[in-house]
Amino acid sequence: MKKLLMMTTLTALASFPLRAQEKLTVPFRDPSMPRQLVVDAMLGAIQVTGYNGQEVIVESTAGTEGPFRGPRGKQTPVPPGMKRIGGNNAGLDVTEENNTVRISTGLWSARSDVKVQVPVQTSVRVKTMTGQQVRIENVNGEIEVENMNGEVNVLNVSGSVVAHSANGKITVSLNNAAIDKPMSFSTMNGDIDVTLPAAMKANLVMKTENGGIFTDFDMQIDSTARAPKVVDNRPKGGRFSIRSDRATHATINGGGPEIQFTSFQGNILIHKK
Amino acid sequence: MTCEETKLLVADYVSGEMEGSDELAYEAHLDSCPSCRAETSRVDMLWKDLALLPREEPGGAVRGRFYDTLRAYRQGMDAVPQRRWPVWQMAAAAALLLVGIAAGYLVRPGREVAELREEVTSMRQLVALSLLQQQSASQRLRGVSWAYRAEPNDTEVLDALVTAVNHDTSVNVRLAAVDALHTFAASPATRRAIVESLPRQNTPLVQVALIDLLVDLKEREGTKELRALTVGDSVNDGVKQRALWALEKLQ
Amino acid sequence: MNEVRAGQVGQMAILFERHHRALFRYFVSMHRDRELAEDLVQDVFFRMLRYRASFDATHSFTAWMYQIAHNASLDHMRKQRGNIVDIDEFAERRPEFASQAPGPEEAAVRKQDLKLLGRALDLLPDDKRELLILSRFQGMKYEDIAAVLQCEAATVKVRVYRAVRALEQLFLGLEKEKVS
Repeated sequence: MKKLLMMTTLTALASFPLRAQEKLTVPFRDPSMPRQLVVDAMLGAIQVTGYNGQEVIVESTAGTEGPFRGPRGKQTPVPPGMKRIGGNNAGLDVTEENNTVRISTGLWSARSDVKVQVPVQTSVRVKTMTGQQVRIENVNGEIEVENMNGEVNVLNVSGSVVAHSANGKITVSLNNAAIDKPMSFSTMNGDIDVTLPAAMKANLVMKTENGGIFTDFDMQIDSTARAPKVVDNRPKGGRFSIRSDRATHATINGGGPEIQFTSFQGNILIHKK
Repeated sequence: MTCEETKLLVADYVSGEMEGSDELAYEAHLDSCPSCRAETSRVDMLWKDLALLPREEPGGAVRGRFYDTLRAYRQGMDAVPQRRWPVWQMAAAAALLLVGIAAGYLVRPGREVAELREEVTSMRQLVALSLLQQQSASQRLRGVSWAYRAEPNDTEVLDALVTAVNHDTSVNVRLAAVDALHTFAASPATRRAIVESLPRQNTPLVQVALIDLLVDLKEREGTKELRALTVGDSVNDGVKQRALWALEKLQ
Repeated sequence: MNEVRAGQVGQMAILFERHHRALFRYFVSMHRDRELAEDLVQDVFFRMLRYRASFDATHSFTAWMYQIAHNASLDHMRKQRGNIVDIDEFAERRPEFASQAPGPEEAAVRKQDLKLLGRALDLLPDDKRELLILSRFQGMKYEDIAAVLQCEAATVKVRVYRAVRALEQLFLGLEKEKVS
């Protein structure tokens, strides 16, 4: 494990080269302030796990060749007698700026899977294009995931979750929800499977074109929201609005911040913990 | 035949739907192309395997029901086939009924038409605008929900919503912003913005939401953009179907 | 079907015996719900009885039947949309392959593969799955499928290609998951 001491107090942005099959440790500038991890446009499976420490530990493993075609990093072979200077073999750029650690794909990215460990109290944002899984576990904070073509698994977390997968299933399991933080889950072609704390208060807005809505919560359904409604209160000095009938509105435990579930082809499952 | 062309025809070839002359051209290409050969054999295996999937058989009751129906029909009675109500469906229907009676549930907070005094209005505007620029997607979602409480002619909030629809980095925020635009339905600026936004989106879920909004608003000005979606190359199938449906509805 | 149209309603029974199993399989593959599939089979035969006058003998009977079946599916889904259902129902709707076991030539390894393939098929979006069901399971020609789905035969060709591709991706993705 390669440890890199951060001595760059002069520059705001710190860069860390990461070679394949190696571990890199990145400290946050100010561990007492809110921390954030951002992972951007990776071409491999991404795993983020909370652990009992203060720094970010990044590990990249050469991914196995998968069926999904993505740009394959071309590695020019090193001519005999010479050595490679600098260069980022794993194709990862790792930087730290203002308490945000950012991991992104370099220009020449070989398919590599990335494992990141973060302090439990960290907000995490992941955006990726691949057909691989994004897995986030054991983290407390604001969690955002966008995966174009793979599954999203956010398990054993607390805080708030906003997730999207165009072509994969979203599975989320929350231990504690941050009070008054809205959440949203959306897929084009995958099920949305969410577990919420049984006592959580929320307003649920659920819409699926070609799937079903299933739950073991006691939901108070707002049946007035089903009929298409054109409300013209302008004569009374109010507003003119149209409420669409496509979503099912319900509340749990009296209502609270809004949680949106939107799917085109998938089912919506809402479990109570 | 090039590799590109061959790839498109794999399904045709393995399913046996291909014309004899095309087959020859296809096989000729395979002779000289190991990658297309590999692909073809993969898809062929898949195709064959599909036939091996276990087949479901209907239960005995199906025939009985059909013959009962047929008999009743022949006896001149236009009898509707006896539909068994699945037990769970009855329970769900009953639950819904009870809930409706029990009233007092919480509707979306802020949706009620409240008396707006000036300071309240500007406070809401401030909150909405500042939340919409927040860093986290969850906070921006909150900004969108505050936008519902804005005045219907509040151009600043409307602009912020439209910006969110067009530029927000989170799909979920864009979706929520499209939904919030329903509240500004009366404004022609809104309708214009929606039409202009449609060709700029390439996330299928957002495209569908915008199309649905156009239909809800009965906005005929969007037909050109809708038509473009139905013939676009890289447009998602679901979106295409939706655009077609919308064009029909808006006739 | 012509005879049925001409008034020999009894001939419907022959059509039933000939086609109801395949129709049942179509609905089960689409909706993963045996009870629903049985209800829909009844629905389709009843509609065919009722609307027999509209059957045009110049076109394929199977195409007409599946057109009705396709619409019956859509009608059902439209009605169901937005209903909130108890979560136990979800597990019930996804049975593992209960009935007929695969043939004797299957090795244990193949059985695992087939399970994954079935799963991949399930995970496909409805419209893609329907295409594969109609072309592979029901063995329908592209023109007939075009009639069922109300589109051009050329479109069917492209869509089948996309559906096979999507199935392949899903299957390979599932395979990879198993290994990892």
